[in-house]
Amino acid sequence: MSDIGNARLKFYCDEHRCISCDGCSVACAEAHELPANINRRKVVTMNEGIFGLEYSLSIACMHCTDAPCEQVCPTDCFYIREDGIVLHDKDKCIGCAYCLYACPFGAPQFPQDGAFSIKGVMDKCTMCAGGPEETNSDKERELYGQNRIAEGKVPVCAAMCSTKALLVGDSAEISDIYRERVLSIGHGAKTQPYGWSTAYGSKI
Amino acid sequence: MANTWGYGAMTNSLGDIQNAKAIIIFGANPAVNHPVGFQHFLKAKERNNAKIIVIDPVFTKTAAKADHYCQVRPGTDIPFMYGMLHLIFKNGWHDEKFISDRVYGMEDVMEEAKKWNPKKVEDVTGVPADQLIQVTTLYARSTPGTLIWAMGLTQHSNGSSNTRLAPILQLALGNMGVEGGGTNILRGHDNVQGATDMACLSDTLPGYYGLSDGAWQYFASSWGVDYEWLSGRFKSKEWMGKKGFTLARWWAGVLDGKDGNDQIHNAGTNLKNLFVMGNGITSIAQQAKVKEGLDNLDMIVLCDPFVNEAAILTDKQDDVFILPAATQFETSGSVTATNRSVQWRNKVVEPMYESKTDHDIMFELAKRLGFYDEYTAGMKIKENKQDYTWPEDATDEIARIIKTIGLTGWTAKRIKSHNENWHMFDQISGRGYGKMKGEYYGLPWPAWTETHGGSPLLYNINRSVAEGGMGFRNRFGLEHDGQDLLAGAGSAPKGSVQKDGYPEITAVNIEEVLGIKLTADEKKRIGKNWKVDTSNIIAEKCMEQGIAPYGNAKARAKVWTFPDQIPMHREPLHSPRSDLAKEYPSFDDKENHFRVDTKYISKQTEQDWSKDFPINLVTGRLVNMNGAGMENRASKYLAALTPEMFCSINPDLAGKYGIRDGSMMWIHSPEGTKIKVKAKYSHSVPEDRIFMPFHFAGHFQGEDLSHKYPKGTKPYAIGESANTVTNYGYDIVTQIPETKGGLCRIEFA
Repeated sequence: MSDIGNARLKFYCDEHRCISCDGCSVACAEAHELPANINRRKVVTMNEGIFGLEYSLSIACMHCTDAPCEQVCPTDCFYIREDGIVLHDKDKCIGCAYCLYACPFGAPQFPQDGAFSIKGVMDKCTMCAGGPEETNSDKERELYGQNRIAEGKVPVCAAMCSTKALLVGDSAEISDIYRERVLSIGHGAKTQPYGWSTAYGSKI
Repeated sequence: MANTWGYGAMTNSLGDIQNAKAIIIFGANPAVNHPVGFQHFLKAKERNNAKIIVIDPVFTKTAAKADHYCQVRPGTDIPFMYGMLHLIFKNGWHDEKFISDRVYGMEDVMEEAKKWNPKKVEDVTGVPADQLIQVTTLYARSTPGTLIWAMGLTQHSNGSSNTRLAPILQLALGNMGVEGGGTNILRGHDNVQGATDMACLSDTLPGYYGLSDGAWQYFASSWGVDYEWLSGRFKSKEWMGKKGFTLARWWAGVLDGKDGNDQIHNAGTNLKNLFVMGNGITSIAQQAKVKEGLDNLDMIVLCDPFVNEAAILTDKQDDVFILPAATQFETSGSVTATNRSVQWRNKVVEPMYESKTDHDIMFELAKRLGFYDEYTAGMKIKENKQDYTWPEDATDEIARIIKTIGLTGWTAKRIKSHNENWHMFDQISGRGYGKMKGEYYGLPWPAWTETHGGSPLLYNINRSVAEGGMGFRNRFGLEHDGQDLLAGAGSAPKGSVQKDGYPEITAVNIEEVLGIKLTADEKKRIGKNWKVDTSNIIAEKCMEQGIAPYGNAKARAKVWTFPDQIPMHREPLHSPRSDLAKEYPSFDDKENHFRVDTKYISKQTEQDWSKDFPINLVTGRLVNMNGAGMENRASKYLAALTPEMFCSINPDLAGKYGIRDGSMMWIHSPEGTKIKVKAKYSHSVPEDRIFMPFHFAGHFQGEDLSHKYPKGTKPYAIGESANTVTNYGYDIVTQIPETKGGLCRIEFA
């Protein structure tokens, strides 16, 4: 178990598993009731239709430790939680899009219908952790969507991921999961740890 | 499938795919159609170093995860598989002992396979000879290998031959009845296996009992209704035994041979009313004919949670009724998964607004038509109740009656206990532990008795019958052409009193085969055979003696009742290779095929189709949609992923016609129909074919039908139905439409 006090929450998308089903992006949009043109999460497919070269990845805000968006913001609306989640305050945001320049992943989104509409100004993935408003308040939900982290739930994209390509959580745990995947290569199907050979014989 | 070894269903399970060393996929795209199930494929690759081989005319999302991808020409799966068999037999990679003990008629297949050398296969399928050799070597040597298929293999005029040759390939390699092997057919929708088991089919009673008089008698007594009353519901008694129309061709029954349509055999009358419950008939081949059929009906009733777009397609103005049906969240009951396992589904909310559940709609209908008492009688028999509890009593009624596929174990109580304890089952083998020990999750059928734990892996003789083991079913008699059809010596399931093959169990042979003596009371109560023994004596005694009630026979490579006894290549009715269509012609025309005269050779030779229609047309699914797509297109976020109907086209092909990426194009079919869709450049298709999804409706031959949607019901995305241009052509046995191998002509719009 990792030290909760020092946890840094991260996303990881396993390109060997991602099948670009868009379960993550649709679950995100649905859960946070996003306007049609806001893509907090997007699945990107490269070299579509070409054998050996096609691969897909699910991309959202990567919640950088040294977040460029935070550094360039003229109104200083970003703040980074102790667990590493990068959030911003929509009441301070002026929608200038400097963060979009700075972001290496194209994460910041800007509603086409203006700063005063639903989700207003700049919008991005919150890792399902809401915003600076009172936790699980109506205003938080209205501006930032669900706060699943406060409820002890996994972000909805990773929860929905059909092949468990998209992982989220403490970076130490994610690397444990990925390490297990790598080390299990070629070792056969995961066997039941509950003593099957004793109960049923090893042959079956 | 059923004609090869007894049951037409997935033999293993999705979880079991993790045990495979090689996975070969014919005409299926599980990454798109079974995204959650596909994790088992990926885990097999990850943990087992399993190689994934994809055979598909279109480079799919599944192919993107494959180690080998063979781009076959549509409709040439048989030459490809014979090409594999050719190499397997030539190099001695086949499992001789398995074949001699457990397969009948393989010699004929070996003979035919000799003709299909890699060069010839390359000419017919378009797959390079080297590649065929490479994938065959890999697949034959990496055992156990599992074989996957879906609609890409079945939707052909000779689809029923395709689905026989795939099992034969697995039999030749001895890949049957083993973990990580099997033929794993992926069912396309929720509960398709259950709907099939319960006879959403026009040629059988529930449980595949057929339509014989004996079957009707069995159901009449089991349902607690008078046989004479039942037969009185038909025009005359002989019609009880006749196959009905199918989903693919019901419209022919309306059109009654008029205006050059195919002739029907329907007791001198045409179909007048259509009642549709939750079926997207706007994703059925030949939409123009579907429309014509709808337009000529007296009455149409559509029950759906969303507006069924059949109501939008038709020009009919009166007597079209749209009934709001409740969703699966507003009702409860059992559903059967692709691997023959069952789950209980609980109600989340009461039916909303004025919607009613499907069963309430049917009960109300039965009341008004005057047979409600007979309709519900079967649910009250067991405990002689005054009234029934829905759906538990219906589930128990099914368990009481359906012996053929072993549903005896599927009582409502047991099914619920599996859901309540699903944390007590292993995710790969399905084995239960703790208090669920001895049972497999979802009691995959056959679950022979009320305590049997289910059979997760069909035809496995390494397990005892009580643990889910069994040989192949004795379904085709005891001998053919003087050869014994029962399994060879020593190939009985583990722990059986019979070590060799044995026939299906009847009241007459039970004492001899099981080596037991029945008491006088048992003799009085026992049913005629295992299929109709509601006393359960046969099944109970069989379990004690380790005997599968359905016998232990050989699978058959040769089906002597089919037009082609062993699967033979026949070109699609609309083939781009007219030379090969002459060499491998289609079947003779078939009269009275599910009540409709159906064209094969006469359609194929009507003209040289490839001259005017040089491009192959393939249809398929998208990950964000299913079926006719109405409910998906009514979801804002799903519709946003593919907001418009499109056609995937290779830039080199498009360039020849001046079609740019994103511009509109016309697609014309040999049937004289056309659609206007957006071109989407894609390298997933080569220059000789195009791909289209079949989930759209709301446009018809260039016309926008938006104005026909009832207020507030138009989905976010509408478009042309690909099925407006899918070609004429139906399978020779099952009548499934030939949507995976037609022709078309394209032009810039």
